[in-house]
Amino acid sequence: MAATQILSISAPAVPDNYSPPTPSTSARISQPHPAGHRSLLPIGRAYLNHLRLSLHHSHSFSSLDKHLDAERERLGKLHENDIVIEDDLGVGDEEEAPELLELDPKEWKKQDHYAVLGLSHLRYKANADQIKIAHRKKVLKHHPDKKAGTNSHTESVYLAGVNQNTNDDAFFKCIQKAHEILTNAERRRQFDSVDPVFVEFEEELPTATEIKSKNFDFFKTFTHVFELYARFSKVQPVPGLGDIDATKEEVESFYDFWYNFDSWRSFEWYDKEVNEGSDNRDDKRYTEKKNKSERARRKKEDIAKLRNLVDMSLGIDPRIKRIKQQEKEARDAKKRGVVNGGPPKKTKAQEEEEKKKAEAEAKVREEAESAARAEAKRQKTAAANAAKKARRQQRAVEEGAPS
Amino acid sequence: MSVVGINLGNSYASIAVFTKEGHAECIANQDGERQIACAVSFHGEQIYIGNQAKLQLVKNEENTIIGFRNVLGKKFSEIEQKTRVASAKIIQHPDLPDIPAYRVQILAPSPKPLVVPHSKANTPLHSSAPTPRAEPSPTTRVLTVIEVTSIFIRDLIQSAEAFLGTKVEGAVITIPQSFDEKAKEDLGKACKEAGVEVLQMLEEVGAVVGATTEVGWDQALSGGDESDASTLPKDRTQLVVDLGASGTSVSILSIREGLGYVLGSTYTTEASAALIDDKLVKFFAADFTKKTKIALPLPLSSSSSDAKPSIQDARAEHKLRLAIEHTKRTISASPGAATCSIESLKEGMDYTGSINRMRFDMLISTVYAEVAKAVTSLLATEGGEEGVDAHDIDEIVYIGGSSCLPGLDERLSLQVGLRSDEDHIPEGTKPRPPVQRNGVSTGTGGVSDPTTVLARGCAIQAALLFKLAQSASTSEAEKELKDAFTNGGEVNKVQATTRTIGVVLPCAGSSNVPHYVASLKGVFIPLIHRETALPARRSVSLEISLAEQEEKRKVVAEVWEVKESVRSEKVVSKSTGGASGDDDDDEPEETTIKHVEIAPLTLLGVVTLIPKLALPPIKTTGKLAKGAPKGGWTTQVEIKCVVGIEGSVEVEVAEVGGLAGKEGGEGARERVYVAGLGV
Repeated sequence: MAATQILSISAPAVPDNYSPPTPSTSARISQPHPAGHRSLLPIGRAYLNHLRLSLHHSHSFSSLDKHLDAERERLGKLHENDIVIEDDLGVGDEEEAPELLELDPKEWKKQDHYAVLGLSHLRYKANADQIKIAHRKKVLKHHPDKKAGTNSHTESVYLAGVNQNTNDDAFFKCIQKAHEILTNAERRRQFDSVDPVFVEFEEELPTATEIKSKNFDFFKTFTHVFELYARFSKVQPVPGLGDIDATKEEVESFYDFWYNFDSWRSFEWYDKEVNEGSDNRDDKRYTEKKNKSERARRKKEDIAKLRNLVDMSLGIDPRIKRIKQQEKEARDAKKRGVVNGGPPKKTKAQEEEEKKKAEAEAKVREEAESAARAEAKRQKTAAANAAKKARRQQRAVEEGAPS
Repeated sequence: MSVVGINLGNSYASIAVFTKEGHAECIANQDGERQIACAVSFHGEQIYIGNQAKLQLVKNEENTIIGFRNVLGKKFSEIEQKTRVASAKIIQHPDLPDIPAYRVQILAPSPKPLVVPHSKANTPLHSSAPTPRAEPSPTTRVLTVIEVTSIFIRDLIQSAEAFLGTKVEGAVITIPQSFDEKAKEDLGKACKEAGVEVLQMLEEVGAVVGATTEVGWDQALSGGDESDASTLPKDRTQLVVDLGASGTSVSILSIREGLGYVLGSTYTTEASAALIDDKLVKFFAADFTKKTKIALPLPLSSSSSDAKPSIQDARAEHKLRLAIEHTKRTISASPGAATCSIESLKEGMDYTGSINRMRFDMLISTVYAEVAKAVTSLLATEGGEEGVDAHDIDEIVYIGGSSCLPGLDERLSLQVGLRSDEDHIPEGTKPRPPVQRNGVSTGTGGVSDPTTVLARGCAIQAALLFKLAQSASTSEAEKELKDAFTNGGEVNKVQATTRTIGVVLPCAGSSNVPHYVASLKGVFIPLIHRETALPARRSVSLEISLAEQEEKRKVVAEVWEVKESVRSEKVVSKSTGGASGDDDDDEPEETTIKHVEIAPLTLLGVVTLIPKLALPPIKTTGKLAKGAPKGGWTTQVEIKCVVGIEGSVEVEVAEVGGLAGKEGGEGARERVYVAGLGV
C-alpha cells in the first residue's frame, strides 16, 4: 500500500451557495507521453515494484499489494526462525534465592556451584557450552561495575548516601569460583562426587526396615536410586532396572553390572587443607597421609553402601522371586516327568522317528564322508603322478640340453 | 551479504559497501583514501595503483597510466592523438589490429633459480646449491585498456574485501552516459578478469536516483534535523550536476515516489575539473615566477605545443597539480584562504602561496558560468510551455569533488534562477519550499557528500540485486524481474502523464487560505504530478472544516486536470548591489519573481460525501492552521487516486475518523471513476 501523505492543512468548509459542476461524460485526462518517450532508470525498490506491477500483476495495484503482503509475511516468518536459532541451549534464567546472594566467597567449598551459576536444573548434566552461557548471563547481571551506582539502603542518617556496600562483589566472586571449578574437568569431577544435592539424597536411601513395609514400591524407589547412582559409572550407558516383565537375561545382566560397578566417585573435596603457612614438611606429610586414608575410607564406605544397596535390591526384587519360582517349577516339572514317565511316553512315536532320522542322517553323512575321502585319495594320486611326470620331463630336458 | 558499489570515474573512483546495519557506506582503500585516483603506475618490479600511482607522475610519467576509463570500448583510430600527454601514451597494439594499448617499461622478475637435482658426489662440480639468481631484466610490457582496467578494479575489490573480511559476491558499477555497447562489453570483460561478478552496470544518474531516494537522504540534507525533513517531497524534480574531470554533465530527473527517469540531459566539456586545475596551475605558476623570478610557463598543455617542454617544467606541473588537490579541498571545506606549498618546484626553489575564496571564485568564475550556461540551455531546450522551468526544480544534487566548491552553488542559484528562501511569494499562489541541495550546507563527509553519492547509490542497488538474485534462484517470477533489471528493454519504456491531476475542495475565496487557487475557486491538492509513470497512485489525508448546521454538512471534492505554468513578474529590486562583478552578466535593475499559475483544464468528476464522523469543535484551536474557521466542526478524510495504465482515473474520498481518536462506525466513502483513454 502506498504511504499516505498527511497534509497539515485544514480546508475550509464548502460555501453555502455552492452547486457542484457537472463533469462532461467524455472528460478524459490528457494524452500521456507515448510509450518510449520516457524510460525509467532501473534502480531502487520503487522500480522493482513497478516491474512486478507491469510484469506479474498486469498493472493492478490490488494484486501487487496482495503479493507484497504475502511476501512480508513470509519474510516475517523467516525472521521468527532466526530468533529461535539464537537460543541459550536451555540454560534459562534462574532467579537467585536470597540466601544464595548472601554467600561468602571464602566458604566456597560449601557453596552449590550449580545453583550459583543458575544451573541447578541441569547439574552434572550441564555441558561445557551451557556452563559458558550460564556464566556469561550471571556475569552480565552481577558484575561489580553494574552495581557501582547502587547504594544499599541504610537506616542511619549519618551514613546516608555513602556506599557501604563494600562487599558488593561477594556474589560475583562466588560466580567466578563456580565457573573456575565447573570448567576444570578434574575439579568438576571432584565436586560432582560430593554434589550437595546428591549427598542429601544419599541420606534418604531406603533402609532395611523401610523396604519391608507393606506399601513399599520396589520399582519406583529403586529405579530412581539406580538412576542417580548411574552418574558415577565409568561405563555409559548404564542398564536400567527395567520393569516387572524383564527377562531373566536382562535382570541378570543388570545385577551383574551393578555388582561390578566401576565408579569414578572420589572424595578429594573433603580433604583437609594443608596448612600453607607452615614449612614443616612433616606436618604436610601427615595431613596428606591423613587425607589419603580418609579418602580411601570414604571410597570404601561408598562402595560398601552401593553394594549393600544392590544386595538389598536383589533381596526384594520381585523378578528374582519370579525367576526362581519359574526355575523351580521347571525343575519340578522335569523331576515329575522322570517319575511319572508321562512326557516321554507321550512322545514315543516321535522319539522313534527322531531316532530314525538321526540314523538316516548319520548314514548320509558317512556316505558323504567316504565319498570325500575317495575323492581326496584320487586327487592325491593324480598330483603325485603329475609331479612324477614333471620330474621326468625336466630330467629329459636337462639331459637333452648339454648334448 | 557482501556486495559493493563502485563508482568508476575517469580520474577518480570510489567504493561503497553495504554494511550489516543496512547502510551503504563509502570506504577508504588501504592508503586511507576515499577518493581513489584512477591511475596505474609501473616502476621496476612494483605496480602502484591509486593515489600512489599519481605521485609517480612526477618522475615516472611514461610508465604511469591515467584516464583509461574513457578509452574503454574505443578503437585506436577513434582516439584523438594529442601532441603531448603527461602520462603513458596510448599506442596501437603491436599484435591486435586497431586496439589501443599502453607500453610500459618494467623489470621482469628473474627466472626461478635452476635447482640441480641433488647429487651424492660432494664435489664443487656437483654442488647441491642452486645456481645464483639472475638480476631482474628490463623488459617492456604491452597492456590493453581492458587489462589496465582490470588491474585497477581488482585493487578496488581487494580494498573492499580487506574491509569486509569476506569475498565480494557482487558489484554494481557506474558507467557514464557516453558508454556504448562496446564500452560496456569491455568493462564487463575487465571486471570478469578482475574476478568480480557485475550485477549491473548503472548509469551515473541511476546511481544518483538510488542514493537520493533512499531513506535518510532528506535527513542528511537538512543536517539531521527532522523538522525540515519534510521539505523534500517524494514527488520532485531533480537537477543533477556532475562536474567531472573531463566534462560536466547536467541532467533533469523526475523522481516520483522513488521511480525516476531522465527528462533531459546535456554534456559539456567547456566546464570541467581539468579546466579548474589549469587555471589554478596558471595562477600559482605566475605567482611563483613573481616571487622567485624563475620562469615557469605552465600549464604546458596550453602553451607552445610544438616545442618539447623541459623535464623540469613537466615535473613542476605534476607537482603543482598534486598540490592543488589539497588547495581545492581546503577551499571547499573552509571559508578562509587555502595554501599551496611545494618543495623544490623548480630549480630547487620551494613555493608557498595562498589563495582566498574571493580570488578563487573570480579565477574559476568562467567555469562556473559554463556550468550555469549548460543548465540554462538544458532548461531552455527541455522547457517551453510544457517543460520544466528553473522554478520547478526542487532539488539539486551535486556530484564529484569539484562540485563541493562553494562558489558553484552560489553562481548557479543566481544565474539559473532557482527558488530560494528570499523569494517572496505573491499572495494567493502556492508556496514552494526553496531548492534543497547536497554537499554545500552540510559540508562533506556525510551521507550527502558529493564524492560518495554515486558509490553509495551503487551499493544500495547491489544489495537489492543480490537479494533479488537469491530469490531468483528459487522462483521463476523473480528471475524474470532480475533479467528485466539487468537488461532493461521494453519494460522501462513507460507512459507518463503530461498534466497534473488533483482535487479541488471548493471554498469561499479568501487570500489567507493556504493552497487556495483562485482560478479553481478552492483549495487545490495535487495528487498525480505531471511526468509520473503510469500506472500510479497516491493518497493524502487532511482535515476539512464543515458547516455548523448538521444538514448542511458535506465534503465536496472536484477532480481536475490542471495546467501548471510558471509566470514571471518583474519587480524593481530594492538594492542593485549584485554579488557578481562580471561584465557579461547584465546587471538587472529589477528582479524577476516567478510563481506557479494553475489553470483548470478538464473537470474529470465530482465526489460528494455526507460526513458521518464529524468532530465537534475543539476548544483549544491552536493546532488548526491559520485561516481555517476557528472552532468549527471538522472531519478527517483520506483521498486516494489511482491512474491506470490506460489513463483511467479513480478517486476515492473516505472519512478516516477524527483526530481525537474517535473510533466507532464506518466513515462515509464515495468514489468517482473516469474511463481510460481507449474507451
